[in-house]
Amino acid sequence: MPMKRRTFVKNGLLFSSALTLPSLLPGQNKTSGPLVAQVQGDSPYEIAKRAIAMIGGMDKIVSRTDVVMVKPNIGWNRTVEQAACTNPEVLRAVIELAFAAGAKKVVVMDHTCHTAEDCYERSGIAAMAKKAGAEVRYCDENRLVSHDFHGDYLGKWPVFRDFLEVDKFINVPILKHHGSAGLTIAMKNLYGILGGNRGKLHGDMGENIADLANGFSNHLVLVDAFRVLTRNGPIGGRLSDVELRKTVIATTHIMHADVAAAALFGMNPGQLEFLQAAFNRKMGEIETARIPIQSLSI
Amino acid sequence: MNAKKGKQWQRLRTASQVLFSILFFFLLLISGRIAVESLPHTGAFFYIDPLNLWVNALAGPFLRPFLLALVPLVLTLVLGRFFCGWICPFGALQQFFTWLGSRRVKKKIASHHGALRWKYILLIVLLVASLFATQWLGWLDPFSLLTRSSSVTLFPGLNFLLQHALESGANSQSLGSRIIKPLYDFSRAWLLSGTQRTFLLSFVIGAIFFGLLLLNLYRRRFFCNYLCPLGALYGWLAKYSLFRLHVNPNCTQCNACAGHCTYYGGPFTDYQKSECLVCMNCVKDCPVAAIDVRWQLPKAGQVPALAPRRRQILSAVGCGLVAAALPQIAAGKKTKGHPFIRPPGAAAEKDFLKKCIRCGACMQACPTNAIQPALLQAGLDGLWTPLLVPSCGYCEYECVRCTRVCPTHALASLALEEKKQFKIGTAVINRSTCYTYADGYNCGVCEEHCPVPEKAIRLREVELYNFRGKLKKVKQVYVVPDLCIGCGICENVCPRTDAPAIVVGAEEEQREAFY
Repeated sequence: MPMKRRTFVKNGLLFSSALTLPSLLPGQNKTSGPLVAQVQGDSPYEIAKRAIAMIGGMDKIVSRTDVVMVKPNIGWNRTVEQAACTNPEVLRAVIELAFAAGAKKVVVMDHTCHTAEDCYERSGIAAMAKKAGAEVRYCDENRLVSHDFHGDYLGKWPVFRDFLEVDKFINVPILKHHGSAGLTIAMKNLYGILGGNRGKLHGDMGENIADLANGFSNHLVLVDAFRVLTRNGPIGGRLSDVELRKTVIATTHIMHADVAAAALFGMNPGQLEFLQAAFNRKMGEIETARIPIQSLSI
Repeated sequence: MNAKKGKQWQRLRTASQVLFSILFFFLLLISGRIAVESLPHTGAFFYIDPLNLWVNALAGPFLRPFLLALVPLVLTLVLGRFFCGWICPFGALQQFFTWLGSRRVKKKIASHHGALRWKYILLIVLLVASLFATQWLGWLDPFSLLTRSSSVTLFPGLNFLLQHALESGANSQSLGSRIIKPLYDFSRAWLLSGTQRTFLLSFVIGAIFFGLLLLNLYRRRFFCNYLCPLGALYGWLAKYSLFRLHVNPNCTQCNACAGHCTYYGGPFTDYQKSECLVCMNCVKDCPVAAIDVRWQLPKAGQVPALAPRRRQILSAVGCGLVAAALPQIAAGKKTKGHPFIRPPGAAAEKDFLKKCIRCGACMQACPTNAIQPALLQAGLDGLWTPLLVPSCGYCEYECVRCTRVCPTHALASLALEEKKQFKIGTAVINRSTCYTYADGYNCGVCEEHCPVPEKAIRLREVELYNFRGKLKKVKQVYVVPDLCIGCGICENVCPRTDAPAIVVGAEEEQREAFY
């Protein structure tokens, strides 16, 4: 005898809800989301390459003929040692892997806080990116367009077209201390795609960061934590504030990248406003125990 | 000398003018672009300017490179006003505009000896005033004038036009963009400034500059003939120079030599060694090869026709004294405080005003567009001196460009480490407008940008009632005055859109006097 439609629907709902039940139970240390690779080693270039390999390789992310935007943190007129900008060696690994995966073009760009030319030059990023074959592009106010992030705090805001008109977006932040946000990692790094009066976004900063990261898709996040500015960030300057952590974190999940990096920094992710705000938006988990982190030391 | 040879000399002169102009503009253009640790810059041109030698000798420590200015002085005694005709880039611009207007300028004009004397009178006025600490030579000195005008109007103007023309082309999807894109990339790398530069009241300086150029359509080399104080100095010396043009018996008295003479004279009717720019136009124009170059000592008893008259000299001295005194007795000299700050390395105000030649080289070199020409903020004698205006730009922590390009050391040359400690002023928070005080919500943009490693702006968590009357925890910003160097980036980035809630004033500014 064939099953009645009504019974089928009833049973279907019953079984499927039964299947989701275990995940709702507390105390279950089940992880969710894509893999987060955390690699430690002496060469920033090598650990970056290894971390990307661990999460499945660049081929999974970049397709042939893609135009790839690599967005480091070039915010400040600071040297590599001062650790206010992304390590150029980490960047080189990303650019090389993107080209190896068949990228047609790789663009490196950031909306800096100091004079762009100075930041690009002193950070060593412009020279390295050019050497690796990427196009080094500066922000051009005429290329701003209004973009809707659909957030309660951050709605429409001017964004440089360049960041929207690419096939793949790779976020390569540096992990460092930040006076108002606590830390700046991948989510905060997205401030660099924005134009306009960015200072206005420092009021409810945590909420704004979460809305920004929620309304913009990253195809890969690679956190540079080789040198970490532990105090007086985000600008720093004093070498005694910089600690060698020799680590990079790779994942495709922006919030999990930040949670893992915050834990690496030595902070409780739950105490960071922007991560709490992201958690409230159901962007991901806020406890490291619930994130599939794989560590490796080479 | 025949016309063919004259033509060759004329071509050589034009080539020299073009070469020196290119060199001048190139050095000025790159001064703000690259690391200038050991780069020769426009200072090279200021060092060969005797007026700047004079300014430099009058106040503060003497800079030896200025002794180079003796070279053109001595050479003028041999060659006449060759400097004006062959080297001066501003003179070259005058020549170019004269050429543009050559179709419409009447060949013959009534005697203008009176007008030619203006420049001597002006020179006397400015020299006398400068003796009394009112330093206005830079207003009219051709190098100062050209550098200032280029930095403040010419370059920003060209930048605007080029950027707009190329950007729209490079961003379009058309076929043309393939051609324009490389052009744009080249310009972006070498010519354009990252962000469009803007200057306070740049149109005043621009109007003077373009006005002076356009006057060449009315009279040949207007500025050089009638206004240039440096030309006057060289002219006064050129009277005694060995070089002279001699009219030989071939002359048919056709007066063709006056046809393109820069001062409407020519060797036949009205030869004035003090006005002759050695341009060689007359030699080229002479149809019968009647003009020769002779090298001879000026004859004894020869009365130079163009010397300013005794009464004019006396009046000029009088004017100089008035000009010297007027700005010095303005109330601003004594009132407490001043509402502006100066770029790093600036000497004490009184000495700074004596040393600064208002050339604006620092304004071109500043990467953030923070250095702006004063109008009357610093008094009448402070016109066009550099101010650091944080609402326009900030003093970049890792930069000493302005102190390196200053030709007179009015901004003392500072090592980077010295400059990082140099206190330009002190930041003050306006508690009635700062978000973290008045509105009770977090901001901290100034704290974030403060470049002092120990942080001169810090955050402290306080509880206060916000504008809704709710008790709230706020990370409030505060300034540590001892650490603040007054770079002004806090004022520059303050997100308030009406007026910055943190401003840098001259409090505790570190400016040393030359004793």
